[in-house]
Amino acid sequence: MKTSSFACSILLLGLALGANGLAQDTRPVYPANSSKANYSDLNKLPDWRGLWFPVIGKVGGTEPVLIGEAKKTWDMYQERLARDSRYEIPETANNCEPDGMPSLMTFPYNLEFLFTPGKITVVQEALMQVRRIFTDGRPMPKRDELDPNYFGYSTGRWEGETLVVTTIGTKPGQRLGVAGITNSDQLTITERIYLDSKDRDLMHLDFTFEDPKVLGQPWKRTHTFRRDRTWEQIEYICEQNNRHLIGGDGQTITPKPK
Amino acid sequence: MNRFIVLPASIVALVLASITVLGHHSFVMFDLTKKVTIKGVVTKVEWTNPHVWVYADVTQKDAPPVRWGIEYTSINHLTRLGMKSNTLKVGDTIEFTVNPYADGTPGGRFQVMKLPTGKYFCDVGAAQQFCLDNNK
Repeated sequence: MKTSSFACSILLLGLALGANGLAQDTRPVYPANSSKANYSDLNKLPDWRGLWFPVIGKVGGTEPVLIGEAKKTWDMYQERLARDSRYEIPETANNCEPDGMPSLMTFPYNLEFLFTPGKITVVQEALMQVRRIFTDGRPMPKRDELDPNYFGYSTGRWEGETLVVTTIGTKPGQRLGVAGITNSDQLTITERIYLDSKDRDLMHLDFTFEDPKVLGQPWKRTHTFRRDRTWEQIEYICEQNNRHLIGGDGQTITPKPK
Repeated sequence: MNRFIVLPASIVALVLASITVLGHHSFVMFDLTKKVTIKGVVTKVEWTNPHVWVYADVTQKDAPPVRWGIEYTSINHLTRLGMKSNTLKVGDTIEFTVNPYADGTPGGRFQVMKLPTGKYFCDVGAAQQFCLDNNK
């Protein structure tokens, strides 16, 4: 008991020193976290409160022009699916793993946008995914400064009532738009998000995907969302009872009755 | 099994159109070209994510009952359709319509159930049309 509480104290001390001992002093404080936050500026932004449910089946845009390995991989999957309609394109290590960006935005659940000074936090109900969009004017880090992750690094700016977001730094190999197409380490996602000029309960999200290793030209995909002001988000713990394991062949295993 | 009802192809087409609606995992484990209706006694309700599960014992002629595992969508979708954790209770006899598992495992993807109140409750997506048509 004594030993473990001593070890615990040492660990806490270490963590405290670690937090202070890192190169914190050289890191800038961007406006989103500064002590001079101006909440009154938020009143100038459009009202995006409520939950935004995707209008299922209403996806527009252009056809992807795939190049190189991406095209070969796509063709291979299509040929495989033509032979076996039960084939599942392998995408994630397990069925509770997020697909990352851009898929976070288009799960068939809903999005909530939280505005704070210099930052927009997007919460996707499915898998309770969270991404942050920095609107405080900070520079976009260089790609080689970022450790690639699921949702990447997003900076945004307002053009009138349209939020324009740039995202880089997503992990290579995540779903890009549809199953069978994945991004490289060179993906740039641009989003233009805005309320419909006539129907303020309709939101438009226009994606442009640019990836010189995957796409021969920018690929545009458009989505629409319908606002609901009556619901709040409901928790979604995917690991509570995930009975859909994926086998070594990338295929979901049929669960047996308990 | 008891009684299997194979629905018209038009309904199957609607179901196929809704596959991408639900997310989480692939639907290749289900035979979406088939729908079967069974009557079973509820033995367990797992009100969980990513999917709600209901287990029911289905009686057979001259054989012990078979336990079916019926896989619903998420708590989130079901809550917004009006289902709660206590909508089904252990011991309830319920008629379920499902897309059966393709490999013959007893169970499938929930489509429609007839509640003890006599009202139908339908899955999110295309199955909603059945409730619109039959809960008048």
